Amino acid sequence: MDATSNPRQTLPVIDRILIGIGAVITFGVIPLAGSDYLMDAVLTPFLALALAAAGLNVLTGYAGQVSLGSAAFLAVGAYAAYNLHLRLPELPLLLDLVLAGLVAAAIGIVFGLPSLRLRGFYLAVSTLAAQFFVQWALTKFGWFSNDNPSGVIDAPALTIAGYSFTSAAGRYLFSLAVVTVATILTLLLLQSQTGRNFIAVRDHEIAAKVIGVPLLRTKLLAFGVSSFLIGVAGVLWAFAYLRTVEPAGFNLDRSFQILFIIIIGGLASLRGAFLGAAFIVVFPLILSRLGAALLGGVFDSGVLEMSQRIVIGALIIAFLIAEPRGLIALWDRFRAASAAWTGLRKTFPATDTSRS
Amino acid sequence: MFDYQFLIEVLVGGLLSGVMYSLVAIGFVVIYKTSGVLNFAQGAMLLFAALTFVSLVERGVALPLALLATLAIMVALGVAVERTVLRPLVNQPPITLFMATLGLSYVIEGAAQLLWGTQVHGLDIGISDVPLDIVGVFISRFDLFAAAVAGSLVALFALFFRTTRTGLSFRAVADDPFAALAVGLRLPRVWAIVWTVAGIVALVAGLLWGARLGVQFSLSLVVLKALPVLVLGGFDSIAGAIVGGLLIGAIEKLAEVYVGPLVGGGIEAWAGYVVALVFLLVRPSGLFGQKLVERV
Amino acid sequence: MIAASAGVLPLDGALVEPALSAPLSARADVADRALVKRGSGEIQPVLALADISLSFGGVAALRDIDLEVAQGEIRAVIGPNGAGKSSLLNVISGLYRPDRGRVWLGEHSFGHVPTARLAQHGVARTFQNLAVFKGLSVRDNVLMGVAHRVRAGFLRQIAGSPLARRIEAENRAAAEDVIGFLHLREVCDRAAGTLPYGLQKRVELARALVARPLLLLLDEPFAGVTLGEKHELAAHVRNARDSYGATIVLIEHDIGVVMGLSDRVAVLDYGRKIADGTPDQVRSDQAVVDAYLGVAHADETEFAL
Repeated sequence: MDATSNPRQTLPVIDRILIGIGAVITFGVIPLAGSDYLMDAVLTPFLALALAAAGLNVLTGYAGQVSLGSAAFLAVGAYAAYNLHLRLPELPLLLDLVLAGLVAAAIGIVFGLPSLRLRGFYLAVSTLAAQFFVQWALTKFGWFSNDNPSGVIDAPALTIAGYSFTSAAGRYLFSLAVVTVATILTLLLLQSQTGRNFIAVRDHEIAAKVIGVPLLRTKLLAFGVSSFLIGVAGVLWAFAYLRTVEPAGFNLDRSFQILFIIIIGGLASLRGAFLGAAFIVVFPLILSRLGAALLGGVFDSGVLEMSQRIVIGALIIAFLIAEPRGLIALWDRFRAASAAWTGLRKTFPATDTSRS
Repeated sequence: MFDYQFLIEVLVGGLLSGVMYSLVAIGFVVIYKTSGVLNFAQGAMLLFAALTFVSLVERGVALPLALLATLAIMVALGVAVERTVLRPLVNQPPITLFMATLGLSYVIEGAAQLLWGTQVHGLDIGISDVPLDIVGVFISRFDLFAAAVAGSLVALFALFFRTTRTGLSFRAVADDPFAALAVGLRLPRVWAIVWTVAGIVALVAGLLWGARLGVQFSLSLVVLKALPVLVLGGFDSIAGAIVGGLLIGAIEKLAEVYVGPLVGGGIEAWAGYVVALVFLLVRPSGLFGQKLVERV
Repeated sequence: MIAASAGVLPLDGALVEPALSAPLSARADVADRALVKRGSGEIQPVLALADISLSFGGVAALRDIDLEVAQGEIRAVIGPNGAGKSSLLNVISGLYRPDRGRVWLGEHSFGHVPTARLAQHGVARTFQNLAVFKGLSVRDNVLMGVAHRVRAGFLRQIAGSPLARRIEAENRAAAEDVIGFLHLREVCDRAAGTLPYGLQKRVELARALVARPLLLLLDEPFAGVTLGEKHELAAHVRNARDSYGATIVLIEHDIGVVMGLSDRVAVLDYGRKIADGTPDQVRSDQAVVDAYLGVAHADETEFAL
């Protein structure tokens, strides 16, 4: 799954079986048997965040360009899809989705231009410009929200080829299908020469340049692909999860949240993005239950929010210190240990893409 | 007829609010210079300091005592950060350290509000905000006071860095950490002191900003105002932080007044960033930042 | 300990493109290039520097350097620390722009060599401080050396178009070839950053060789490696010329290895070229002896070797 593996290599039989079982459960069992709460409040936001984190991971984890403006591209995707649907109602929804991603990619490339001269913090700070500018533009110009006085948009119902996906299960399935396709395409990209170029630029820019890697094209491509994925995630966030959207929902905290997902989950790993997103979605639910059970009434929503901040912040520091490769490294180690224990597999890939 | 008097008023107002930006930016520079860390938690420290001070005062602690207690807490915080965050991450790439301070800012913000609550506190430091009339130009008395405080703080630092032994060791560490280590400077101690100094800057900035905006969560967002200042002035230059702050302050206000109406206003939020960005593309190491010759 | 023992390891069976097959194809390659040269009239040096000067903020790093490197030779540039060796290599690879002078790569001349097009001009280089891509596997590192040949756009790469597949297959074959040639098979799936220093240097050499460059620039290839690795590495460098047909320019601080390896040696001191000739000529040159043994430089060089 990581960048070191061969492209299109055949998977071991056991992995194929696991993927098959996974597909049956996620596409079949959950929509039939899962509760609306599970799909609505847990799985759908998880899918949208995981896709956004995968997008940021392409840029930050693989290509090494730190961005603090992810939420801006979520917003661009959401508002682009909304306006495409509103103003060109004859377009099918799936096309809206792709076009919204392309709009986000275009804006991402514009804000990626400084990366040609800036590195590290300077670039991180400049991506904040995207964050503030986009949020400002969406608030300031009523056109984006169809002159709705509150600036809030109501997302249209999800209807594809006559089939409605408006139920909790429908919206979950829609998100799952989109995220699955996007993830597979991203994986193929990362395993191609382009994916290798990303890591080369991250690990040693000058050596990459001397070899003949086109720095300009590679970096802008990373920004474009990343923003495309985040933009599509924004559509899911707005249309499938929240169903009403306002610019304030895409603030700096959201950008940080997505960055935290990849730090906790694992930089330069698509699986890490999913693991991290799962953690970020599930963790507050557990914390609130735990807090209420232990402290009772003292643990109100304010206390919950603050303790959540503290724990997330502390976890970021702890992971950076103790396991910079994130949850995914823990998971791989656990799998290796259990495989060795059960004797199912003799070898386990010891390589992993390390971070910059 | 162009109103020059108004222009001057806007300009002076911008410069003075720029001083407030500089004040926040200096906290960054002090840490960056000595440890190469862009401390995103500077805003959280500012919030923490102001909130602690206000809460102590509201609980009936005498002003000087509250100031001393807050100072002591900031020192403790600096030492704790050095122990738990910086020391284990020594020799990590700068961007990792930056992300760690992002986490740190979450911890400090959460802790500050968990300890002292989330309500907005007023803070009166006894300076009225009645405008002062200087040869026909109205200037905020509060802004002037803030500028004076910032100015004396900078002078104090300059004195400290140039004359004291500790100050000298800071400069040695900033120049070459390895050489500094080789001649026996104790880096952990230097870092702890540096973070303490940053804590003091945070306290001063927090009180001034708090007096203006009220002491509340949004105080920690002034860090976002300081970032373009740093980009413009260079992360490692105190002079740059001051000049950068003045420039950004003035440009923001001028842009808001003269360009803002053309595009619907509210451009203060990003005008500073755009200016800093455009500048950066021309001169990537900032106004006063050291130009790095890349060695291969 | 893979580093020390890899040289005598038996090549593992099935997958190996035998190292012996490399010379044949390479020789054909070299012959082709020679033909081109003859066709175009007089024989041109692979690399020529004319009157190169470079300074940093008033400090002269290089002064009026002339240098010619003939096809197929191993050319060393030596000199004490700070003599300007690295600057010279960075000028040739376009990382620095000289204040004056021109760089000739074959028949093309440049005032400022375009770094991004080096690979197209058949130039590859290694770096003094390791410059492997730590996060990529050894195989992927080597594949990066032929990245410039991938002409398919990223959408074609995702879709696996015939063009993308063909180039990928060719590049993989080339990479396997070099991996076998430099005995990196054992470690080719490991992340390069996890390997010992000497082995990482070899990965960098493989990455530079995979494109079969006309000109290979080596920046202090022997710095920091153990004595055993030094001899092994020297053999690899010689093989790179003999089997892959690369003309080699290497800069080195440690003259001992260089004298035995090189065909001709140029000596730099304080940014000037003070000697140029065969190892024997240079060894007996008074200016060189002064530069190395004089009071000004008390270096730890193994000149006696």
